[in-house]
Amino acid sequence: MPTSVQFLWLKGQFNSSLVGLVGGTGIVVAGGRGIVGVMAAAGLVCLGVLADIRQARRCSRSRDETASYVASTEQLGRDVLPVWSAHLESSRAQMEVAVAELTQRFAAIVDRLDQTLKTPLHGNQEHGLAEIFEQSNRELQSVLDSLHSAMESNRDMHAEVQRLDRFIEELQQMATEVAHIAFQTNLLAINAAIEAAHAGENGRSFGVLAQEVRKLSGVSGETGNRMSQKVKIISEAIAAVHHAAADSAKREESSAVASEAAIHRVLDQFRTVTQGLEHSAETLKQESAGIQTEVVEALVQLQFQDRVSQRMTHVRQNMERLPSLLTESLQAFDESGSLKPVDATALLAELEGSYVMADERATHAGDNTAGAPAISDEVTFF
Amino acid sequence: MAKTIMIVDDSASLRQVVSISLRGAGYEVIEGCDGTDALKKLTGQKIHLIISDVNMPNMDGISLVKAVKAMPAYKFTPIVMLTTESQDAKKQEGQAAGAKAWVTKPFNPPQLLAVVQKLVLP
Repeated sequence: MPTSVQFLWLKGQFNSSLVGLVGGTGIVVAGGRGIVGVMAAAGLVCLGVLADIRQARRCSRSRDETASYVASTEQLGRDVLPVWSAHLESSRAQMEVAVAELTQRFAAIVDRLDQTLKTPLHGNQEHGLAEIFEQSNRELQSVLDSLHSAMESNRDMHAEVQRLDRFIEELQQMATEVAHIAFQTNLLAINAAIEAAHAGENGRSFGVLAQEVRKLSGVSGETGNRMSQKVKIISEAIAAVHHAAADSAKREESSAVASEAAIHRVLDQFRTVTQGLEHSAETLKQESAGIQTEVVEALVQLQFQDRVSQRMTHVRQNMERLPSLLTESLQAFDESGSLKPVDATALLAELEGSYVMADERATHAGDNTAGAPAISDEVTFF
Repeated sequence: MAKTIMIVDDSASLRQVVSISLRGAGYEVIEGCDGTDALKKLTGQKIHLIISDVNMPNMDGISLVKAVKAMPAYKFTPIVMLTTESQDAKKQEGQAAGAKAWVTKPFNPPQLLAVVQKLVLP
């Protein structure tokens, strides 16, 4: 501490003693050095000294309290502010990590929805469900057409079998005629034999001829009988085939009618199901697109994290300036005994200088009504 | 072949948001966390446009613009600043450094896409 300062400090400590001394001296001089004057002077000096002692004690106490206060303020800056700053930075970092994780999850959802929307509604890449349905319809219709064609062939065959019946009748008629001819021939042969017998020797050769004719008529008769039997067998067989074919045709026709009805029923159900599927798929596609849009909007809103992070960083950096200012203040007090105020204005100016956003400046100016800024369309081209 | 855009920002979540918008429009995206990281990733890559924040650690956006413009391979690569900075002085710095556009955060994705489509190299 400089000498002049020390001198002034010393002078300040003994102001009351000096005043008492001057007063006492004045009394002594004025009182002509009488005992009363001297005693009064001594009393004044003592009072002055006492007052000075008391004052010195008060000053010492005040100084100790001030030193303690300055030290505690310095400790606040040294020990407490770094902890606050660390909490602030930790909170900012945790928020950044959490929002980054959330953004990544949302981004994955958007990608999956994008893939889903790009996937065709059905397995076949070239044709829609409606076209598949039409193709199935055409194929089944061709199966039905084949069935109808087979039934038509059966009906033709049935008609042919019915025509065979007429031929059988004719054959039967012919067999009967052959038998009749054989009978008549036999009668003629008998008559010829009788006439041959009546002719005697001259009719012998005729009789032999008649005998041969009788043999031939016998053979013809047998042939006619066999023909009749065969025709009967064939007729029975054809009748059986005819009945079987008729039954088969009836069954096939019933089956074809039932198959056609079943196929149409199945196709109708298939059409209903595919239409429902297409409608559901279209609805799902629209919903997926809607969800994708909502998720992207949510992602855009997460931009708040970037702004909040910047603000918190500006505040933290400014807070970290305070401990050094408080330490300087303590050092100044220790050296000179005088208090050096912390320049809050400079600190605020530093903080304001770090701002990049309009809402930061608004809050600094005391406008706490300004909320988060809206999504901006502001673009400047250079 | 898809065009490639580089997004440079120290905020991972913001890079994600921009990437989603760009990929949805059919662009390939490369990410950088600050100016230094971006310069490392530029080497050898064909980049059709760069989107960069301004306030970043290690190397800020304005310095990145100057560094990119000094690279012969990327001299004509358009650079769009995407930033919370709202002061005209900073905008002028960006313009002087060689940036082509200045978009303020929080940004509107369709608006950013329109800027990209307007400026991206053919």
